[in-house]
Amino acid sequence: MTAEEQLLQFETRRHFFSRCGIGVGKIALASLLSGGRILAEPTGATNPMAAKKGHFPAKIKNVIYLFMCGGPSQFELYDFKPELQKYDGKECPEALLKGKRFAFMDTFTKEKPKLLGSKRQFKQHGKSGAYLSELLPHLGGVADDLTFVRGVATENFNHGPAKCFANTGSVRFGRPSMGSWVTYGIGSESTDLPGFVVLQSGPRGPRGGAALWASGFLPTAYQGVPFRSGGDPILNLARPAGVTQAHQQKAIETIRDMNLSTLAETGDGEIATRIAQYEMAYRMQSSGPELIDFSTESKETIAMYGAEPGKATYANNCLLARRLVERGVRFVQLYHADWDHHADLGTPLTDVAREIDQPSAALIRDLKKRGLLDETLVIWSGEFGRTPMGESRENGKSGRNHHIDAYTLWMAGGGIKPGMAIGGTDELGFSPAGDKVEVHDIHATLLHLLGLQHEKLTFRFQGRDFRLTDVKGTVLKNMLA
Amino acid sequence: MLRSIAPLFAAAAFAQDAGVKFFETDVRPVLATCQGCHNERNKMSGLALDSREAVLAGGNRGAVLKPGSAAESVLIQAVEQTGALKMPPGGKLKPEQAAALRKWVDMGAPWPAGNKVSKRAGADHWAFQPVKRHDPPAVKNTAWVRNPVDNFILARLEKEGLKPSPEMDKPGLLRRVSLDLTGLPPTAQELREFLADSSPEAYDKVVRRLLSSPHYGERWGRHWLDIARYADSDGYTIDAPRTMWRYRDWVIDRINEDVPFGEFVVEQFAGDLLPDATQDQLIATGFHRNTPSNYEGGIDFEQYRVEAVVDRVSTTGAAFLGLTLGCARCHDHKYDPVSQKEFYQLFAYLNNVNEITKEAERPEFNRPVMEVPTPDEIERKKAFRSQFQALSNEFIKYIRDLNAARADARKDLGFKERMANLRALRQREPKYTTALVMQELATPREAYIHLSGDFTRKGIAVKPAIPAFLPQLPPEKNTRLDFARWLVAANNPLTPRVTMNRFWQQYFGKGIVETEDDFGAVGSKPSHPELLDWLASEFVRQKWSQKEMHRLIVTSAVYRQSSKNRDDAAEVDPYNKLLAKQNRLRLEAEIVRDAGLTASGLLSRKIGGPSVYPPLPEGANSVTQVKREWQTSTGGDRYRRGIYTYFQRSAAFPGLLVFDAPDATSTCTRRNRSNTPLQALTTLNDLAFIEFSQGLARRALKDGGATDAERIDYAFQLAGARPPRDTERRKFQEFLAGRLEEFRTSPERAEEMLKMPVKDGEDKPLLAAWTSASRLLLNLDSFLTRE
Repeated sequence: MTAEEQLLQFETRRHFFSRCGIGVGKIALASLLSGGRILAEPTGATNPMAAKKGHFPAKIKNVIYLFMCGGPSQFELYDFKPELQKYDGKECPEALLKGKRFAFMDTFTKEKPKLLGSKRQFKQHGKSGAYLSELLPHLGGVADDLTFVRGVATENFNHGPAKCFANTGSVRFGRPSMGSWVTYGIGSESTDLPGFVVLQSGPRGPRGGAALWASGFLPTAYQGVPFRSGGDPILNLARPAGVTQAHQQKAIETIRDMNLSTLAETGDGEIATRIAQYEMAYRMQSSGPELIDFSTESKETIAMYGAEPGKATYANNCLLARRLVERGVRFVQLYHADWDHHADLGTPLTDVAREIDQPSAALIRDLKKRGLLDETLVIWSGEFGRTPMGESRENGKSGRNHHIDAYTLWMAGGGIKPGMAIGGTDELGFSPAGDKVEVHDIHATLLHLLGLQHEKLTFRFQGRDFRLTDVKGTVLKNMLA
Repeated sequence: MLRSIAPLFAAAAFAQDAGVKFFETDVRPVLATCQGCHNERNKMSGLALDSREAVLAGGNRGAVLKPGSAAESVLIQAVEQTGALKMPPGGKLKPEQAAALRKWVDMGAPWPAGNKVSKRAGADHWAFQPVKRHDPPAVKNTAWVRNPVDNFILARLEKEGLKPSPEMDKPGLLRRVSLDLTGLPPTAQELREFLADSSPEAYDKVVRRLLSSPHYGERWGRHWLDIARYADSDGYTIDAPRTMWRYRDWVIDRINEDVPFGEFVVEQFAGDLLPDATQDQLIATGFHRNTPSNYEGGIDFEQYRVEAVVDRVSTTGAAFLGLTLGCARCHDHKYDPVSQKEFYQLFAYLNNVNEITKEAERPEFNRPVMEVPTPDEIERKKAFRSQFQALSNEFIKYIRDLNAARADARKDLGFKERMANLRALRQREPKYTTALVMQELATPREAYIHLSGDFTRKGIAVKPAIPAFLPQLPPEKNTRLDFARWLVAANNPLTPRVTMNRFWQQYFGKGIVETEDDFGAVGSKPSHPELLDWLASEFVRQKWSQKEMHRLIVTSAVYRQSSKNRDDAAEVDPYNKLLAKQNRLRLEAEIVRDAGLTASGLLSRKIGGPSVYPPLPEGANSVTQVKREWQTSTGGDRYRRGIYTYFQRSAAFPGLLVFDAPDATSTCTRRNRSNTPLQALTTLNDLAFIEFSQGLARRALKDGGATDAERIDYAFQLAGARPPRDTERRKFQEFLAGRLEEFRTSPERAEEMLKMPVKDGEDKPLLAAWTSASRLLLNLDSFLTRE
């Protein structure tokens, strides 16, 4: 190091501590002032994603949210209703429909809707005896690890707003998503990957797009980062063509040194943060490709998921999800389309169920095998369920309409009692029976498991303290371990 | 039994005394349990239960109590929980409590005299008082003062024993004011001129030049577009493209023309209601049509129409009144004197646009929409019509000739050819650009209170009205147009304060009121209340000229200060609220791009027109439900300013979003300034920035001079309008030398590095090395920051 550089560093340190201590917090200057190489570890307080303590000790560290786009039919998957079978083809009792609003109202006003029994065979699985349909044999195999929540109610019967509600607690677009709230609350353990990652598979992206993982009025640092399964996982992650790794490293080091001279002159702590962000960007450039490289996975693991390296499949994304939480990423969300079966509960449903069955079960087995299931919460859910009444849009085929009163989701992982169910539905599966469960309760419970009290996790915006759970939400105590 | 004898009680004088006694012993304690929510201040569901007048006035559902008849009183049904409404929420009164209420109502609801309705709290709040123009305070250091703004700032600093900072150095000041007024850094020529001009008016001249630059309208227009939640797509589920760029251009043009702010606002709110509205005045009404629209299958269109109207009210609150009106959608405002009823009275002004409400109208989705041709388009259409006319005439003549010759037209080659030509031409008929506009229904829609904010739960009907604590409109002048004029009327204290506060925020990073969208009871208090009022009154005095107010602020001494941190000031004022220095501010998303384009020399300075499609990183568009085509723009349109980038709500341009561009789902009155690794990845690796680097490198090599030292100076000047520090120069030189050596030994890497075509005779390794080194300059904190 030259004398001038030493002087610069001394000056920087002096200015830094004397002039920008306030508002920046204690910034570890190790990487700034070590000179030379970029360090492998980030500099604590400069990183908005740094792991933070919650309101009380957490039961879990990470969340993997398997989002089933379109509204999967609980009647064909989890909610076994022999009574509904019995009334198959009968007109739906008027009393049930009174005062209800449905999507595609016209299909229900043209003719009286008829009840539709499920054509799928159900059987009980495991010690818990949970009913699952023939569409989900693999999930049946891990039934004792699942906790079902039945009769879940949501607020809006259209895909976009309902997805928005499931993710942000509001049907209005523009609020922070749950992954943003979580990382805003407790940051992420990962030092070289974003704290909130979004993965997608299926024929199309989810309705609503980026609003579903947006940070809303929270700082943008907390918005979900969409990863792709093929190619570079993050936009602009790859170095430009012609730029070698050594070249890139030298570039970032030179930028840092020049920024240090501006820091010395202006004393603006924001520059120290920028330097730290460039170093994290540099680390992401190697951790990103390493993340999606499945060559370190055993043949058995790949086969268990049914993954096909390089493809944007749900199976690949499940494996990626495990690799992400393994690396400390706080919140991983998978979107898989498409479950919107208005017209046909036959082949289209069989196909999409097959796409998710094996990988979802494999994810649970794999997490368990590695000791990660205890510190992870896996949630499988759509934005709503479907009606016990049938819809027939094509000759000879039956589908179901959107239904927001009583859908089924499941969770697996740490902090909850496995092999049980809470909530329930009436004999026709039309309305909840037993404990009332709403989307806000799911959010409250999820935050609780992460050590966050949902009423205290707030952000002031336009004069109001906003929460993920709005003005509602009750922790589902009877499912907690 | 009680019911049948109740009238007897009510009729007898002696019974009144007994009634009051009963009220005090048995009823008042029960009502007290309800008054947590139902009091004059909170008025949950519009109902207060703390005076007889209030009880009889009822709530949002209408009357709650009929004296003498418990059976007909909603209040009794609610507490006995026999109807749909069950009170209190989540619980039940004890049977004897409910019975006491029933008895009391049947008695005629007696109440002791002297319990009057109290004045609603909050109306005396500072922000709702008339603007008062204070004389600029006296200061000791009069030499520092450049205009009255400085008196207010300096008086406060002197009170704290603080000195202001010295003036920013000349290059830094030029870059600052150029970015702030036009969103573009100065060119090398502009910098040279300013440095050479040692006259005392040099800076004023620059300000004059910048304010008359057409780019001024782009920079301040973009700020307005944030408020207007402008986007090029519908939002929600389908998020199809929509054509609104004429509105965007209207904003840019009007700001450039310095149309008085009052007129600017009135035309956007109600241009359609102005007598003989011009096309431009109709385009202006796009302001409140920028709301997202949903047309996913199976929706209730009325629900999303209502959402849009609610958004219009909330936007009006945040952008003009500094009020969080949205809070009063579901219940009375908890802190400010805005009742839920008053929310829906404002709603009623904006509720009568002829938008679709039901499935049967789906084909007319996004109505009202109109053709708004540009002069150019009209010319093209004219030319087309005359061409078409000429061809048709010739065709008719040809047919006549054929007929005259008794030839069979169907077999005639000339006939077929002419027919085909005409058809083909018809296909190419130029289309007029359209825009979404406001158009008032002949009969206003019924407006009513939405119980708990749910439009399917109707409360009482309401008529348009201004909240009671603000200046009122006369009943005969109460249209949307009158509402618009009220917003900018001389007696409205909020609009000029809120607007000036936002201007201040753009220049200093924080407003005089830090919560720029909340001037209410829980908003922050102004740091310099007298300055805020002085600016507000000056705005009105300057006939609402935005340019004059910008000139005033940027020519003040407080604006021209250095932004360097100072230990002495930081000790007294850690958040720099008193402005003993300027603040360093990270550039806004569009300006990061614009500054790169300017440095590279690639910038297209074209103003307005349809939105453009700069190169998109691969895979960026795969996250939406409907994958949209992104036809990357070519030629100059590839290098347009960020404001013109096509903005799709569900998949906004990543380079903008990553630098905190708002998502356009609701109004944005202040942008975040985050600092993230994804930003670093963008400026380091994105194709656009590699192209900018190559452009910058080429200019340094071509125009920078003969020596590396001169070229380095020039490159720094282009990117940051300043000379390099010694350390920077040395680091740059060292990096450049390393790259040149690398590219000379591996020329294939040089080839790869150069994304834009290379001219004959250009030394590729040299250009690539300079490209790589120029890339550093576009990643410097000092480049990304307005000093």
